[in-house]
Amino acid sequence: MVIYLIKRLFAVVPIILFAIFLMFVLVRLSPVDPAQAYLAASNIHPTEELLAEKRQEFGLDRPLIVQYFQTVADIVRFDFGNSYVTNTPVWQEITTRLPATLQLALSSILVAIIVSVPLGFLSAVYKNSWLDHFSRLLSYLGASIPQFWLGYVLIFFFAVKLDLFPVEGRGTWQHFVLPSITLSLALIAIYTRLLRASVLEELEEAYVLYGRTRGLKEKGIMVKHVLRISISPMLTGLGMNLGKLLTGTIIVEQVFSWPGFGRFFIEAIFNRDIPVIQSYVVLAACLFIVCNLIVDVIQLYLDPRISREGRAQF
Amino acid sequence: MKIHNNKKNLFLALAACAALTLSACSDDNASGSADAESDNPNAITMSWPRDIGPMNPHVYNPSQLITQSMIYEPLVSYEEGGEVKPHLAESWTVSEDGREYTFKLREGVQFTDGSSLTSEVVKKNFDAVLANKNSHSWLGVINVLDKIEVVDELTFKMVLTQAYYPALQDLAVVRPVRMLGEAGFPEDGDTSKGITEAVGTGPWVLDEYKTDEYAVFKRNPDYWGESPELEEVTIKIIPDAETRVLAFEKGELDLIYGEGVVSMDSFNYLKETGEYTTDLSDPVATRTMLVNSTSEKLSDLNVRLALHHGFNKQAMVEGITLGLEEKADSILSSNFPYAQEDIEAVEYDVEKAASYLDEAGWKLESGGAIREKDGQPLELELIYDKTDPIQKAMAETLQAEWLAIGVKLEIAGLELTEQIERRKAGNFDLDFWYNYGAPYDPHSMINVVAEDGWGVAEAHSNLPMKSELDEQVREALASTDETKRQELYGSILNTLQEQSVFIPISYMKKTVAYQNDIESFEFPANRDEHPFNDISVSE
Repeated sequence: MVIYLIKRLFAVVPIILFAIFLMFVLVRLSPVDPAQAYLAASNIHPTEELLAEKRQEFGLDRPLIVQYFQTVADIVRFDFGNSYVTNTPVWQEITTRLPATLQLALSSILVAIIVSVPLGFLSAVYKNSWLDHFSRLLSYLGASIPQFWLGYVLIFFFAVKLDLFPVEGRGTWQHFVLPSITLSLALIAIYTRLLRASVLEELEEAYVLYGRTRGLKEKGIMVKHVLRISISPMLTGLGMNLGKLLTGTIIVEQVFSWPGFGRFFIEAIFNRDIPVIQSYVVLAACLFIVCNLIVDVIQLYLDPRISREGRAQF
Repeated sequence: MKIHNNKKNLFLALAACAALTLSACSDDNASGSADAESDNPNAITMSWPRDIGPMNPHVYNPSQLITQSMIYEPLVSYEEGGEVKPHLAESWTVSEDGREYTFKLREGVQFTDGSSLTSEVVKKNFDAVLANKNSHSWLGVINVLDKIEVVDELTFKMVLTQAYYPALQDLAVVRPVRMLGEAGFPEDGDTSKGITEAVGTGPWVLDEYKTDEYAVFKRNPDYWGESPELEEVTIKIIPDAETRVLAFEKGELDLIYGEGVVSMDSFNYLKETGEYTTDLSDPVATRTMLVNSTSEKLSDLNVRLALHHGFNKQAMVEGITLGLEEKADSILSSNFPYAQEDIEAVEYDVEKAASYLDEAGWKLESGGAIREKDGQPLELELIYDKTDPIQKAMAETLQAEWLAIGVKLEIAGLELTEQIERRKAGNFDLDFWYNYGAPYDPHSMINVVAEDGWGVAEAHSNLPMKSELDEQVREALASTDETKRQELYGSILNTLQEQSVFIPISYMKKTVAYQNDIESFEFPANRDEHPFNDISVSE
């Protein structure tokens, strides 16, 4: 297990290096000069002298290859530089905003798990019942409703009309409800169907029949055996989605005025704030890798057959 | 047994995750102030699209003008119709050659840390700005500012390298010429890298602030001037325009104010509900089409006039801005100084437009839709900011309107920075352009007509009277004779109109919507100034 983890962690290095390279190339392919973008965002008239001064300040006047190796060297030393716009260390900007994004992502995952595990499981057990039809409808809706629209609809009914929750902002548990539902509906749609299909597949397995013939209680077979194994594909999806959630809450952050990192990143793109963009790319790559790793480890615990050691036991 | 242990560990891991999330929520609760809404009846909550920033009076983005103007004050203030009135400076004299301004500061003005406003502090502010002159040279007065000399504790002299009549108007802008207290300066005095504290003389003090969430301003109890009636203003950061409207409808906001802060549809919706008060300001700037006279096809005055006559401006402005903007007949609206009443409007007249094109030699072949001359079709390119829905809609309208007179218009949506770069390089036929509004206009507008670097003077460089025009602009900016200046402005604005190098489209306005318990509201004359001093709330 330890060797496996070390191997996986080493695999992070080439992925991060590739992400930095890709980001570096893509940002430079844009016709927009970051010095020009900075001045435009500040409403300052971009004279040639001022542009040259800003390019020098941002280090954009050096040869591209020097800029690239400098970028890699800085990131390796965990020096993400200063934001062009705010002139404060990017790491400070990230740590100010990332906790809010992290909270929202985790609360959405929790909502998704709490809803989709029982719903997916029961809709498989009670196949073609009203509950199954309901879960199917919910999945269609979740998969097809755009998040920004859902956000507005939820705000309109539950905040403005029924006055149950605040419209926007962050601070109390009530502030979490609407954005978490907005983010989790799409996840619920996927996980419910994934779990349902997986449970139906497992129900056909011989061990279920064997359990029944041994006279085990139906509830025990379902929960202890079928659900435990069926949940594996859902966990894989969760790992992929957690990374996506941490980096993709931008629209929901915008609609609910959630002070997360996504909003800051969007402004950074428009302002060509390269230090922020490159830090975000590196951070996103790390998050995806770490989230997938965590899920793999959890799966090893849940289904020991996956590991070599576990297979030997079964 | 092993499975049981695994399950136990998994359960513990999930519980830890949940606890982490919940504890994070409860931490916020513990701070007690995360929700910015106040119980004070004499307080209002407004929204703003961006975080207020570091509140440094000498730098730009990401600090927001509206909040900078709450904390920091100017030497003089800009009032209705362009009148400049004393503010931190109670009086001033100007030397005959227009190069020396001697200001007498108001006595007893204190910064929020208790220190006094003196000539030394004023000099320190200007020195900090001059240390980064390049960043501020867009502002005329900084460009010609030679030095500040302290005469006595409350008197100082501003020495210019040349006469510049709009010096006082420029001193009324929000940044970078407002006064920071001594305690706000870093040790080396270089404020371009940051300030230590937001110490101003203004009527508002920043009391509480949470990045990207809200800022609470309290009334300055030691304010030298007339105190605002409100005791507290909370600015909530709501980046999304629709969310802003929903928060306002729910009553979480008392006021929505600014330019483009709500969609035009939403503004009209709020107006039509009858449950709130809505209002539009006087024009704050003019939405204009910049015509590149150096472009081969547009070098002909007849073609420019044809375009000017060839679209129904009234219908376009009404239709796209839903009545929130007003059709513009002149590049300078009548509420600005030196606006000319005798400017002749260029009316919508398709026949006239067609005859101008005929006269220019652009003929419509039978059965053809696009005019041609020497085998060349009359094709033009209009560049616009692709993130601006109004520019896009207007570009599409013009494409259809001008097609009716035989002009093919290609429209290209660009990022703002690319649009600016192409404008500066002269790489366009037509482009949307805005003047600067009060207190910058009209002097900033005519300045860019004469001075290279903005892309406007370059676009006008093919005009036969360009050198006279430039001379008139320079004379107007340096003239100390008011009558002469009036004449020069008249001539400049008429030339620009007659030459159709600017096609004025609409006058842009600020919007405000507020709950009915707000009793009074007035739009500030200065486009960038905050409106809170004149707001009162019913008991």
